[in-house]
Amino acid sequence: MKLDFCIASYNSLMIYFGEKIDPLIAKEVQKAYLALKDANIKGFLEIIPSYASVMITYDILEYSYEEVCKTARLLIENAKEIDVKHQKIVTIPTYYGLEVGLDLEILAEEKKLSVEEIIALHVKESYFVYAIGFAPGFAYLGEIDAALCTARLSSPRKAVPKGSVAIADRQTAVYPALSPGGWKILGRTPTAMFDSAYEGLSLLHVGDLVRFEAITKEVFLKLGGVL
Amino acid sequence: MNGLLIQKGGVQSSIQDAGRVGFSAIGLTQSGAMDEYAFGYANLLLGNPFNTSVIEVALGGLSLIVKGRLSLSLCGADMKCTINEKNVPMWNTYNLKEGDILTLGFATQGSFAYIGVKGGFKTPLQYGSYSTSIKEGLGGIEGRKLGKGDFLACDNVLPSARKSVQRESIPKYGKEITLRLVLGYQSELFSQEQQHTFFTAPYTYKGEGDRMGYRLCGEKVVSKVSGILSEPICFGAVQIPSHGEPIVLLKERQTIGGYPKIGSVLCVDCFKLSQLKPGGTVKFEVITLEEAQAKARAFYSFFKF
Repeated sequence: MKLDFCIASYNSLMIYFGEKIDPLIAKEVQKAYLALKDANIKGFLEIIPSYASVMITYDILEYSYEEVCKTARLLIENAKEIDVKHQKIVTIPTYYGLEVGLDLEILAEEKKLSVEEIIALHVKESYFVYAIGFAPGFAYLGEIDAALCTARLSSPRKAVPKGSVAIADRQTAVYPALSPGGWKILGRTPTAMFDSAYEGLSLLHVGDLVRFEAITKEVFLKLGGVL
Repeated sequence: MNGLLIQKGGVQSSIQDAGRVGFSAIGLTQSGAMDEYAFGYANLLLGNPFNTSVIEVALGGLSLIVKGRLSLSLCGADMKCTINEKNVPMWNTYNLKEGDILTLGFATQGSFAYIGVKGGFKTPLQYGSYSTSIKEGLGGIEGRKLGKGDFLACDNVLPSARKSVQRESIPKYGKEITLRLVLGYQSELFSQEQQHTFFTAPYTYKGEGDRMGYRLCGEKVVSKVSGILSEPICFGAVQIPSHGEPIVLLKERQTIGGYPKIGSVLCVDCFKLSQLKPGGTVKFEVITLEEAQAKARAFYSFFKF
């Protein structure tokens, strides 16, 4: 497995584990991220995982670049394997109605599929959490069925409603809050993605598995969903 | 109650400290003061620790009235401040009493001014920071910019000896700045020719910027790739999307992104960029990691006494 250390800025370095979206590389990232995080090193200010990389921002009053590389390499090389039994599986109830699935019909037309087929393709897979970013609690999930692969909207929406379940390329995600966005929207979940009541604040964390479960409008409303 | 009652919020005034650290992994932006130099002095003059909350005034237009008694500092862009209608200089501390009125006009040079108070403002600490992120609705007062009627509580303190920043340490916010850049691991995605263009061409800041980042206009720089696999983004990262114009990512940047990056601007130069007015020009220059760290260490050792 690749393990490259690179300078990112005066106080940050990047560690690369690969160059593509790949569940095996993502596992290595997750393993390294947990080892770095659990070591609780005071001078490591930020440890941010993504698809195939981890960035460390360090306190330059305490550490040199070489010291961080050495410490991080040691931790990564001795990282514990992740116990699959402890892998968190999260189910996200989703209402795929046309009044919330704002792009269902244009997607159906684009893909020459029925709306029902699109929903069926979206709920059949388990998705891996590759990265969190863009906004608090926004999890990049992959990969969606190739038959759903779609480009972002040519003109992003100024306001995507909170809880929108959307897709772009081979990825899917839930918008944790009202925000601009260009992903195509299939439905809406009543589940909060980001909440100070959650341990770790975000519902999802890198390495979790996610399933979407289709619910009716009645259930959506009962669970606190807003149309 | 002791503190400051806002009469006019101005263009965009908000509570900021040194930023939110340790939550990027779940997508929370760093936020914090755009210019840590003026911010640092606003606290240093009052004997506050470096990471103490202040009011950041963008462009100007703020006015407020004092409740109780407090010591206050004014640093950063000269916004033609007045206390009870009398002009007062920036880079100074003032002892204020009940009913005193502070107003800030608009800066002709520089973009951000900082108002510190002894002990900082008593707004809620959220995720380890007092910084306001308007985009995320976090920090400060209800995660928004300050407006009429907002009350910012602070300690009631006895008047103390007034302090000011020495003349030679007061920056002149010019129209031309040089940004020293640590070449990144992705600089190889830009040909020698493209790098030459980047480091020789002047770029203009036309005002396309906010707390997230500043876009610069000038000769286009083209990367060998249109995008990269999304990865974490550090403070000062210079990303160049396919439009070919560099964007320097600042305090309220997104945590991950997929545009190629040529390198990262040294922190102290990002602070200068923050203060650049629209129409100002920028040149990039390479700095080694060792030099960059030495400059940054000197900066933070001075303020983090």
